[in-house]
Amino acid sequence: MTTEDGKVVVAEDLTKVYGSGDTEVVALAGVTTAFDRDRFTAIMGPSGSGKSTLMHILAGLDTPTAGTVILDGIEITGLDDGALTRLRRDKLGFVFQFFNLLPVLTAEENLVLPLSIAGRRPDQEWVDQLILTVGLEDRRTHRPSELSGGQQQRVAVARALVSKPAVVFADEPTGNLDSKASADVLDLLRRAVDEFDQTVVMVTHDPVAAAHADRLITLRDGRIVHDGAPGGADDVIELMKQLD
Amino acid sequence: MTKLALKSIWARKVRAFATSLAVILGVAFIAGSYVLTDTIFAAFDEIFSESLHGTAVVITAQNPVKQETREVPTVPASYLAKVQGVPGVKEAAGAIFTPGGLFDAEDKAIGTKFAPKFISSTLPKGLESLTYVDGHRPRGPGEASLDKAAAESAGLGIGDTLKIIGAGRVEPFKLVGLTQLGQASFGGASIAQVTLPIAQQLTHKRGRFDQISVASAPGVSAVALKRRIEKVLPLSARVETAKEKAARSTEEIREGLGFLQTILLVFGYVAVLVGAFIIFNTFSITVAQRVSEFGVLRTLGASRRQILGSVLLEAAAIGLVGAVVGLAGGYAVAAGLRALFTAIGFGLPTTGLVMEARTVIVSVLVAFLVTFVSALVPAFRSTRVPPIAALHAFTPSPSRRRRVARFAIAAILGAVGIALVVAGLAGGGGVGARAARIGGGGLAVVVAVSLFSPTLVRPLADVAGWPLERVRHLTGRLARENAKRSPGRTAITAAALMIALALVTFITVFASGLKSSVATVIDENFAGGLVIENSDGFSPIPAGAAFAAAKVPGVKSVATIRTAEADVLGGSGGTVKVNGPTPNIEEGVDIEWLAGGPARLRHLADDEAIVSDSFARENGLEVGSKFTLLSQTGARPRLTVAGEFESKLGVFGSVLVTQKLMADAFRQTKDTTDFVILEPHADAAKVQTLLTLGAERAFPTAEVLNQGELREEREKQIDSIVQLFYLLLGLAVVISLIGVANTLGLSIYERTRELGMLRAIGMSRRQVRTMIRYEAVITALIGAMLGLVLGVVFAALIAQPLKQEGFTLSYPVGTLVGILVLAGLAGVVVAIVPARRASRLDVLESLQYE
Ligand SMILES: Nc1ncnc2c1ncn2[C@@H]1O[C@H](COP(=O)(O)OP(=O)(O)OP(=O)(O)O)[C@@H](O)[C@H]1O
Ligand SMILES: [Mg+2]
Repeated sequence: MTTEDGKVVVAEDLTKVYGSGDTEVVALAGVTTAFDRDRFTAIMGPSGSGKSTLMHILAGLDTPTAGTVILDGIEITGLDDGALTRLRRDKLGFVFQFFNLLPVLTAEENLVLPLSIAGRRPDQEWVDQLILTVGLEDRRTHRPSELSGGQQQRVAVARALVSKPAVVFADEPTGNLDSKASADVLDLLRRAVDEFDQTVVMVTHDPVAAAHADRLITLRDGRIVHDGAPGGADDVIELMKQLD
Repeated sequence: MTKLALKSIWARKVRAFATSLAVILGVAFIAGSYVLTDTIFAAFDEIFSESLHGTAVVITAQNPVKQETREVPTVPASYLAKVQGVPGVKEAAGAIFTPGGLFDAEDKAIGTKFAPKFISSTLPKGLESLTYVDGHRPRGPGEASLDKAAAESAGLGIGDTLKIIGAGRVEPFKLVGLTQLGQASFGGASIAQVTLPIAQQLTHKRGRFDQISVASAPGVSAVALKRRIEKVLPLSARVETAKEKAARSTEEIREGLGFLQTILLVFGYVAVLVGAFIIFNTFSITVAQRVSEFGVLRTLGASRRQILGSVLLEAAAIGLVGAVVGLAGGYAVAAGLRALFTAIGFGLPTTGLVMEARTVIVSVLVAFLVTFVSALVPAFRSTRVPPIAALHAFTPSPSRRRRVARFAIAAILGAVGIALVVAGLAGGGGVGARAARIGGGGLAVVVAVSLFSPTLVRPLADVAGWPLERVRHLTGRLARENAKRSPGRTAITAAALMIALALVTFITVFASGLKSSVATVIDENFAGGLVIENSDGFSPIPAGAAFAAAKVPGVKSVATIRTAEADVLGGSGGTVKVNGPTPNIEEGVDIEWLAGGPARLRHLADDEAIVSDSFARENGLEVGSKFTLLSQTGARPRLTVAGEFESKLGVFGSVLVTQKLMADAFRQTKDTTDFVILEPHADAAKVQTLLTLGAERAFPTAEVLNQGELREEREKQIDSIVQLFYLLLGLAVVISLIGVANTLGLSIYERTRELGMLRAIGMSRRQVRTMIRYEAVITALIGAMLGLVLGVVFAALIAQPLKQEGFTLSYPVGTLVGILVLAGLAGVVVAIVPARRASRLDVLESLQYE
């Protein structure tokens, strides 16, 4: 159910303005872009450039001041809370910077949470495969407090994938991890795109992380100032310097 | 620092208010109890002094019996002439003021069931205290007046018929006047007035007075006049100035109604105790939530003392709000309780609401002490926050040593509590001391269980959560896990409800045992017959009712019992119930004989008595030994024990004597209960109809009951008291439920990020609501389960020593399950607000919430 041209997410002239008068902040100043299926996109930009705002609007967590978002063929701007909830449940996956696992559930229970919420029986084969992929076979019944930060984040990635969503949004998923754990998480996102045909959109500050992506969008003052292949980490660093 | 503390309360004003509500309600109830009872006493004060308007000295008979007696002694009319001869007496007159029954032309009772109705006599103009607001004073036979309030509520006016029943048949009067006593309201009581000879005749007090009122001549003081009168009268006459008499009457009322104040205050303090749990919990949670704030303050150089001060200042502010709003609420509670008592037929006289200094002092003290003491432990915990907490998440978690200490304290408290309860039950000491031991023991056990309950929370949450999880898999599961997350928190919240529900359960189980025991006694001992008694269930009925009943076709005979109170001289020394049955009593009721037997009772002499086993035990009596009673008239009959019976729920009292002795020594000629014995083949239903038509018409205070109705009547009496207790306990339940909502609200606030995440990954608002609601249900069920167990155990403990009195416990399983279900539903109700708040959280904001 993608749009004809294979775009999973289409954003048209998105504007987001906070406050008014003197305190007015333009977080997004007309962003138009689209995301292809089975692709890994990274969004970068200086602090305050509107990355998170853009991602939240794309994911239906926030509403734009103007502009439209079409997600998997559905125009999401203007949907009510119930429809947005179902959309997030069935079509979206999320990975946040802080390990948003439920402390009271085991790793495996956290992993299948979106399915439990939907009242669906998890496909055990798929769950097993995910657990294997994230390398937590022997940690299934552990609680988050008994997992390392990297392990927790890998559970969060697996959770985002479990309902086979149309898009996975990740906001600085490695922001809190050391380089080894970061590499594991990024590798996982990469494999999700390559092996499981997932679409991933990731906001990051880390050039190394951006280098794992197929495409790099750079924002500045709420506008897209660069859109292309990231190349290696050094290329990204170079690009960032140029934009500064 | 002070400013900071106040600011911090202001910032969380809604929470602070919810917390103060836990104090406010309890304090309001305590204040209200005082206001109500003080108001009642003030009203009686007013009534008594008004009723002695124009009177200088009052003469009544001394009542030597320690406790209240149903028959009040009278003075002989011959005293009057002696008094009139005393110099300085301007005017003296005898008066009657005796309880009776009042009815309209259609035999409809005037005044509510339990409110007193009086027959009084007119006094000469100078001594009369009633003012006539309409019509005139009764001038002769056939004329009567009624107090205006009673006439209005009964819809009676001048010229209507008023039927009055005293010690004989009911008699019709023409209503000729409406009266009022100053500005006082009698509550539900009604007063009918007739001329003195008529009053004496109605109450069977010919040649006697209830009191003699004396007016003094100008220039003679009441005290001087009293001294002079005392000289001409025997010692059995009590001569008092009007002031003394009013003061004594008020004092008697204070003693008589003291139990009301005590009961209300007990419920008030239970509510306060429950509130204390809530405050403790709220402070513990907020301190835990503000750890990093305290950490920052510490890095900025705030001392431990300052941190402690800021938390305690917050407690003080809540205490202040509790005291002020609670006191104001006391007025509302007093008005509400008064309306409640009136609604259930216990109308009480009132004037404007009275707020005494004592009420203010007690309320303020309670409010401050409770908040302060409850906040103390959390406040000290806040001082243990190290500056480093500003940087790291730090939870001052209870160490192993502390846990062990807690267990030890719980175990010791529990043991001491149980020992106290057992000691209180086993007896020794007065009723007050025993009640205090049982109450104190109960409190200790409750605290012990609360200290122990964090350990019980996990398994109980699993039990309570299991069915919910069957219905709603994920939300049920999360609710259960969330309830178990901070067991201490859930435990204290549940413990508050536990206290309230333990009392509800205790009362339910105990009342159910009482009802079934009464039913057993009635079924076993009054089999098949009919019973005539006063429709209020306790006042006596005229002896004429039994004679009238005996004449009804189908009735073989009527056995009656007359009752009075007496002190035992020597021996145990207490006041006991004395019964005078007719010799044929065993045709109507079974007596369980331990010594003697039916023949001894049939041929009982006037100087013989049959005693209950417990009376014999307490006074060291056996067949053949002698003992002496003291009656309200001052008579001292010396009696020989002729037999012994087994006491069953005290139906026959302690001592059985002849009715002749009852009349001579106790002046009791009215019956407490008539047992109607039927001819072998008589149709009981038909006889009952005839009795109702005949006896009830002539003696409208009497009511004919068959075995089933009698049982029902007794059950209804128990039920009405139980319902009153339920209502009073409702307050504690409400406070504990506020606690559930409060804890839930605070936990949700803590879990904002988590809720945002759940919503982000697709949890619907409805699911969030369900989850929160179930958490409340689980907490409420944990409290209910603990409360049920505790209540049942207490009931079983207390029932133990009552077994030999014929009391057996019965467990109303249906009702207990009902309590559990209701507690669960209450959880649903109190979760409405927190659940809605949680479901309305903005997803994005929650995610970014720190
Ligand atoms: N709720 C809000 N109210 C007002 N201004 C906001 C709000 N949320 C974001 N902004 C502003 O919008 C702009 C874009 O913010 P956004 O969070 O999208 O930046 P970002 O690129 O994600 O930055 P960072 O890299 O620091 O996360 C910033 O200037 C920010 O201050
Ligand atoms: Mg951001």
